Amino acid sequence: MARILFTVPPLTGHLNPALAVADALSRQGHELAWAVHAAQIGDKLPEGARVYALDHGDGADPGIAAPQVRGLESVRLFFEDYALPLAERVLAPMEAAVRDFSPDAMVVDHQMLGGALVARKLGVPWVSQVTTSASILKMSPVLDAWVAEQYLALQRRYLPEDLIVERPDFSPHRVIVFSIETLPGDRHARVDAPYAFVGPVRGEGRRQIEFPWEWLRQDRRKLLVSLGTVSRDRDTRFFEVVMEAVSGMPEVQAVLVAPESLAASAPDNVLVRGYVPQTELLRHVDGVICHAGHNTVCEALSCGLPMIVAPIRDDQPVIARQVIDAGAALFVRQGKVTAAAMRTAIANLLGTPSLADSARRLSQELLAAPGAPGAARIILALAAAAPASLELA
Amino acid sequence: MSKHYDDILSLVIGKIRSTINEDWIQDFEIEGETRFNTDLEIESIEFVKIADAIQAHYGTQLDIVGWLSGKSIHELIGLSVGELASFIAGAVPEQG
Repeated sequence: MARILFTVPPLTGHLNPALAVADALSRQGHELAWAVHAAQIGDKLPEGARVYALDHGDGADPGIAAPQVRGLESVRLFFEDYALPLAERVLAPMEAAVRDFSPDAMVVDHQMLGGALVARKLGVPWVSQVTTSASILKMSPVLDAWVAEQYLALQRRYLPEDLIVERPDFSPHRVIVFSIETLPGDRHARVDAPYAFVGPVRGEGRRQIEFPWEWLRQDRRKLLVSLGTVSRDRDTRFFEVVMEAVSGMPEVQAVLVAPESLAASAPDNVLVRGYVPQTELLRHVDGVICHAGHNTVCEALSCGLPMIVAPIRDDQPVIARQVIDAGAALFVRQGKVTAAAMRTAIANLLGTPSLADSARRLSQELLAAPGAPGAARIILALAAAAPASLELA
Repeated sequence: MSKHYDDILSLVIGKIRSTINEDWIQDFEIEGETRFNTDLEIESIEFVKIADAIQAHYGTQLDIVGWLSGKSIHELIGLSVGELASFIAGAVPEQG
């Protein structure tokens, strides 16, 4: 049996894929441990999980703030205020955890840089887990140089010179991407790394959420509108524009995942809910309007649904572009789109067969991907390989 | 500012409007201080298209990509329409 150590940042989108892979491994009896911020995500780990806490307990652990920031600025803030300080702070407890657990292999989220540096320093075989199809792409010469510079300073404080590399977040052994290769496509250069595209992990038994299914009508075209959990409460303008657009489209029904205060001003054919059973609801709708978050995009595409994408921040603009290039999405500008433009986009979404055709094509690929069990096989193969041969990888 | 700069600024604004080509931007007030990221929600991939359109207008006397590559990430995030216009104004000769 193999000993596998997982480390991910305390962010749901990064924890969930790791949980699915861990589940596949623990079913086979492998011994797992987690090096995580226990105060933030300890309660989401499986019962009885072996946990090495990375928290300092001083209330100063970095968090994702500034929800109003958009575009490139959110990328800069993510590195400067989150990923890099987080890495610096976890190095000592991470190294102690790895020395104590002595894993045969580590699974390190590519934004959990501290785990990558410790694996490198101690010579533990490791895979990177990359949670979206955007993070593997090179950005622009200026940005890539800036990122490398940020990483370099951190590495110099912790690693001997001969272990320093340009992109320490990517494993030289294996980089598992929870997406399909068609989404990044070949239009943009990738960071050079040994990729394995395993597709998204499937929804693993979320909690039950009430939904008034009888509200949905057979004789209407139906839309799910969601900006994801992070941006749901950002501001209400976008939802108001959607409501105004849909109010003039009696043939359409729309479910908005939005602050419930908007329900009072919703037209008859719009339902506002704070939470929805998204995976199940997607089976009942004809299209999706979303922020191009990777989870929502993969879930919608898995159901063969075309979408309107209104990206806001982080990697969303890149993912949005990928789905548009794959022929399954239309673009609207989040903070600028007018009701008239939204109405046109919705009419095009529902009236353009090629969008749905492309979405169905992608759904076949997504459903055929090996998912978490495939990722588990890759990790086990790495754990079983002799460390000497890994040096060459 | 000179007429040279003002002419270039109007050309840049025109290229932004025609490249983005959405209803809101036709009436949106774009000035020198308008920022690409925060005010216009323009991503880098779209900025490249705008730069290409301007580049095509002026031809080889201009090197927008080279100019951008000398900018820091902070400068790129805060890049305004006027900064782009100023760069062009300095790079291309005044029309006589």
